[in-house]
Amino acid sequence: MVIAFWICAALAVFGALGMVFSKKAVHSALFVALTMINLAVLYAILEAPFLSMVQIIVYTGAVMMLFLFVLMVVGVDSSDSLTESIKGQRVPALLGASALGVILIGLLGNITMTNIGFDQAYVAYDGNIDALAGLIFTKYLFAFEATSALLITAALGAMVLTHREHAEKPLTQRDLSVLRFKSGNHPGSLPSPGVYARHNAVDIPALLPDGTMAEISVPKPLAARGAIRLIDLASKDEVQALNRGEAVITSQSTDRVEE
Amino acid sequence: MNKLIGAAQGLGAFGLDPLWLVALKAVGIFVILVLVTLITIIMERKVVSWMQMRVGPNRVGPGGSLQSLMDGVKLALKEEIIPRTADRAVYWLAPVIACVPAFMTFAVIPFGPEVSIFGTATPLQLTDFPVSVLYILAISSIGIYGIVLAGWSSGSTYALLGGLRSSAQMISYEIPMGLSFVAVFLYAGSISTSEIVAAQAGTWFIVLLLPSFIIYVMAMVGETNRAPFDLPEAEGELVGGFHTEYSSLKFALFFLAEYINMVTVSALATTLFLGGWRAPWPISLWESANTGWFPMIWFFGKISVFIFVFIWLRGTLPRLRYDQFMKFGWKVLLPVSIGWILIVATARASRNIAGFDTATTARWLLIPLTILLFISWIFEEVKNRRSKRDVELVEDEIAEFDPFAGVHPVPPLPGQVTKSEKSALQVEES
Amino acid sequence: MNNVAIPILALGLIAGAFAVFSVAIASITGPKRYNRARVDAYECGIEPTPQPMGGGRIPVKYYLTAMLFIVFDIEIVFLYPWAVSFDSLGIFGLFEMFLFSASVLVVYAYVWRRGGLEWD
Repeated sequence: MVIAFWICAALAVFGALGMVFSKKAVHSALFVALTMINLAVLYAILEAPFLSMVQIIVYTGAVMMLFLFVLMVVGVDSSDSLTESIKGQRVPALLGASALGVILIGLLGNITMTNIGFDQAYVAYDGNIDALAGLIFTKYLFAFEATSALLITAALGAMVLTHREHAEKPLTQRDLSVLRFKSGNHPGSLPSPGVYARHNAVDIPALLPDGTMAEISVPKPLAARGAIRLIDLASKDEVQALNRGEAVITSQSTDRVEE
Repeated sequence: MNKLIGAAQGLGAFGLDPLWLVALKAVGIFVILVLVTLITIIMERKVVSWMQMRVGPNRVGPGGSLQSLMDGVKLALKEEIIPRTADRAVYWLAPVIACVPAFMTFAVIPFGPEVSIFGTATPLQLTDFPVSVLYILAISSIGIYGIVLAGWSSGSTYALLGGLRSSAQMISYEIPMGLSFVAVFLYAGSISTSEIVAAQAGTWFIVLLLPSFIIYVMAMVGETNRAPFDLPEAEGELVGGFHTEYSSLKFALFFLAEYINMVTVSALATTLFLGGWRAPWPISLWESANTGWFPMIWFFGKISVFIFVFIWLRGTLPRLRYDQFMKFGWKVLLPVSIGWILIVATARASRNIAGFDTATTARWLLIPLTILLFISWIFEEVKNRRSKRDVELVEDEIAEFDPFAGVHPVPPLPGQVTKSEKSALQVEES
Repeated sequence: MNNVAIPILALGLIAGAFAVFSVAIASITGPKRYNRARVDAYECGIEPTPQPMGGGRIPVKYYLTAMLFIVFDIEIVFLYPWAVSFDSLGIFGLFEMFLFSASVLVVYAYVWRRGGLEWD
């Protein structure tokens, strides 16, 4: 138990430090998750299995997921900038932090803890979960019901901050398909690139049966970037010949003959 | 987690194994899971191909039965591609995070009753403690990280979108999943898997709590990212989803994790609702059906039924649209499961306090509820029709409302019609 | 020895060793043929779309989903011990949970009406 404590405690501290010192925000979030999991293990060591699992479910699962999402809203790949925005704050901050550390170590080091009433409580309530339920739903009833107010506030806040009312009713799949046909554009799927061409690369337009190029077959982003490659004139002639029903020896089949 | 908690909860049989037995069981579970994955993959490919009038894999081994093993070997011999834009450390870590929790959830699944292994009496379950179902939930919520991180660290658009979708999907369906357990805990009076199985010695919970079971089955398909809920890897939209950029054995680990998760949720469904390792009815008349090593047959039989259903679903149903999928989770499964829990609790309380039997309670609860639901449905329907007619009436009289007229876009007030709504109405008329 | 955590640790170690071994071995077993196009992000064979400066951003609606998830997750966490000792809590426990669920459902109804559950 003592060994497990020292391993998990060290890992938890490592996670906390990693959170502070990593530059990428997502790495920081991962380090917090590590700390949370180690705290959960510490709870388990302290004979609080329910709390331990809830720690993982709520903190590691839910809160960290929220964290990740927030970071991704901030920017998927954003890194901290290390410029000091308030001049000369680093030295006092370090001094203050170490002073706090000394005080905490001094205070907490003097506390000795013994399990008082643990065994009796478990026997009285028939186990950890029943003991928790017995307390939450009777003695701490008010706190429990007040939690729901907290939850309401949280969800309400998220709703107010993130939700944007639609200025217009969003179009349904039906509306969209109606609009697509109404506008007179190509209604179905566009011809795929490279069908009659000599390549199957996505940036080479398909050839229509008359040998002209179907420019709509190349994805729009490519066309916008000017990344369309043209096919050579030889294959155009070949396709036209094919279309007239003549036997055509394409260069590919010539290769095969030579073999 | 010592003797005290276990003894108080009747879990005294766990945590007593000598170390060699622990190691044996752990290795056993690991091997079983890997084997089951191989079998499941080949079974899936075979069954789906039969459903689609194809032959399926038939080259390697008798009837193609070694195909998935060979695929594994092939993956190991493939080039490992790490995209230039990838965040290396996280990119390496993600498959490990996805894979390890998938294995670890199986630690608390009961395979059978107490047996004797080399003369040591031990339950056919790696371990159990008072909160083991919560443990499964907790560990699988860590597994989601693997997917999100895989998507993020690849540095590719498709992967990122797939990872995000997947995590939003998994957290959305974890709620109904977690809620469907509540009724089981209520009837079993425990959160430990072995005690829940013990509580089903008489009637399986699927009989008592059918709605919970149905909710769980739907949520478990969503949780495992399987068809028709396989949106994170919707090929037509996102190429490969979160594992687009993964190759070689790293991809194999994601694949393995997905299949193990399938087995895990099936095993959990079996444990919570189908009596765990207990023999199904006609067999259970035979006295030794629930003793010794036999229960493993029933247990894996039930799991394979679930796996078959997974495959069947994939062969039958098309993929949902993402908004429909989220709508179903949040607007249907969630309220239904909360309502069902309250009904179950009320029924249980009325039995505890007034001594009503199940039939009486059902009559008093379900009939008024059904009537209430029906009335509210009619009410809603009438309201919808009326509002539609109102819009049609005023449509010609009022001017079109332009939400973007001012500096800020303003949503239309009731009675105001925007241009797109008007054109939509006209389309419906014609 | 009477410890239920050691078996979990054992299984975790085996699985972890397997996973790490697989990830590590992959670079040794496979061939290595460097190709600049291959290590680009995959976008169906075209030049990958340039990422915006500072990384892409994701829609804020994921945040709302995550927040709602937390709200209901915490409700579930309370429901579990309640369900386990429901019989000993009696009718009082039932009303308590009705009240709690009702207040959580208030915000649920609000979010639904405002359209926070729509995904479009």
